Amino acid sequence: MTGSAASHVLPVLPVGIPWVLAAVLALLDGRRRWVGLLAAGGLAASLASLFWLASVVLREGPVSTVAGGWPENVGISLRADALGAAFALVSVGVILASLLYELALGVRWRAFPALVLLVAAGLTGLFLTGDVFNFYVFFEISMTASFILTGYREADYQVRGAFVFAVVNLLGSVVFLIGIAALYSITGSLDMRIIAQRTDVLEPVSVIAVATLIFAAFFLKLGLFPFHFWLPAVYVGSHPPVAAILSGALANIGGYGLLRFGAGIMPRELELGSTAVLVLGSASIIIYGALQAISRRDTSEVMAYSAIGQAGYVILALGVAGPVGYAAAVVYSVVNSLNNGIVFLAAGLRGPLVGGAFAVGAFSIAGVPPAAGFVAKIAVFKAAIAEGPLLASLALVALVFVGGALSFLYSFQVYQRRFMRPGDGGKPGPRAARLLVAALAALVVLLGIWPEPLVSLGEAAAAVLAGGSG
Amino acid sequence: MILYSALVFATIFASGTFLLLQRDLLRVVVGIVLVSNSAVFFIISAGLTRGAAPVYPLESGPVSDPLVQAMALTALVIGFGVAGLLLAMVYRLYVSHGTVDGEEIAGHEMRQAEALERAERVPEGEEVPAEEQDAEPAREGREAR
Repeated sequence: MTGSAASHVLPVLPVGIPWVLAAVLALLDGRRRWVGLLAAGGLAASLASLFWLASVVLREGPVSTVAGGWPENVGISLRADALGAAFALVSVGVILASLLYELALGVRWRAFPALVLLVAAGLTGLFLTGDVFNFYVFFEISMTASFILTGYREADYQVRGAFVFAVVNLLGSVVFLIGIAALYSITGSLDMRIIAQRTDVLEPVSVIAVATLIFAAFFLKLGLFPFHFWLPAVYVGSHPPVAAILSGALANIGGYGLLRFGAGIMPRELELGSTAVLVLGSASIIIYGALQAISRRDTSEVMAYSAIGQAGYVILALGVAGPVGYAAAVVYSVVNSLNNGIVFLAAGLRGPLVGGAFAVGAFSIAGVPPAAGFVAKIAVFKAAIAEGPLLASLALVALVFVGGALSFLYSFQVYQRRFMRPGDGGKPGPRAARLLVAALAALVVLLGIWPEPLVSLGEAAAAVLAGGSG
Repeated sequence: MILYSALVFATIFASGTFLLLQRDLLRVVVGIVLVSNSAVFFIISAGLTRGAAPVYPLESGPVSDPLVQAMALTALVIGFGVAGLLLAMVYRLYVSHGTVDGEEIAGHEMRQAEALERAERVPEGEEVPAEEQDAEPAREGREAR
């Protein structure tokens, strides 16, 4: 754990660069081109440091640093492990793509680049922190910035969407905060590792109440089935890059939180709920999301319901638990946020190049071979087969098949409606934005053809969780 | 003491939740403020020790848990900032719609969107009738209320 000076600075870089830059850029006019490019440069630097961090973490295990040089367990710690690094990488990647896309379209708000940087800083912070209260603070930083971003372009329905989004998510945050306070009260610590050790020896009854609160908060955040009501209204209204940030980066909080708090800190409580509630729940989420998506016409509405359904696979993998299930959940979350990023960005543009990119995203959602979605679906399949009794695994495999078929159906309905209309009159949009979307699609195909890094990252992340639960 | 704190917490949280479910957006904001303050109260009562203020030099005897106070302070500041943001959003909606009633704003928007759609679609002459028929009864129901 303790290493050279470089390894102490390393976890701070991905958080610190966008954070400091955001504070500076908030004073400048973000509509100027160079300010936007500076923000993109900062995000790229953060992404580069995350790649470095991920490679160090994969080679040497978790890297941690304590703020202000306090002794371990006294100061506030940042602890980067494979799980956090994987989520941070994909989130910052999607945010960077969305920012570049908006730069190509032309930024309309002076605060836009600074807000995007704040979302990135908050997200990387919460993925890399080792302290539950800091998790909440970083979470609020990214959430508050994204409330404002949802209202971007300031159409009335966007402001109303932002209001709904803010109120619902604040309720979620409050529930989560209460959960943290309760966790502190029963374990006497805010450090994730210590809490994980102490919840293992506590009476399960006291932990279950806390676990319910925290899981409910993340379900709300991820927009999962019983708590999904706010999600379509928000995703449909917002401007394409904002929708991509919300669905591709911010929604990761839910998946990561369930993995970190469920699998890492309260594995017994997760297990108690998993077999019945999570598996049945994931079935209803996948089918419900897919059916709703089929019945919609508007591209972004279909994709919003698709996002609800896709989150179900993460829950399914999580419900299976064990290293295989956790690895599948990580891989699926990563691929899912890339898919969401592509389809929401592509939904704002027209033209054959974008159509192709959208098709790749749709293939990936449906889990058709050349795209990365295939790898993710395979991982979920493996997890489903690993589930004990034959009947249960048969049911899960059937569920994954049906879900895949349904998502194939709705993605191509949308594709047909949107990109295959003869005499498409719309403007194709700026060239740079179209190239960017195509590049994202190429990345998804590349990950599908060469899945080795993705899968090993997923396995390393699962190993962290399985080891942490002791 | 625990029962007393639990009752206070429950009352504040329940009032906040009740206000959250109102149509008036200002009440919703007040509801959020109440709910987030109930969380602050909960944090304070989750403290591990009770006693004198944790300020140096310490007197003898028990000292109250300083960590929850730091947490409560952070949560308060966040809640304050977010309440300001929400009020700004409500004001923005009030400026463009002249009302802070959620239902009225939604109805207003729906009419605007339909007017826009009609203006865009009629020249092309495709698919208008089916969708208009769908939308019509819903709109009337809203106005009648």
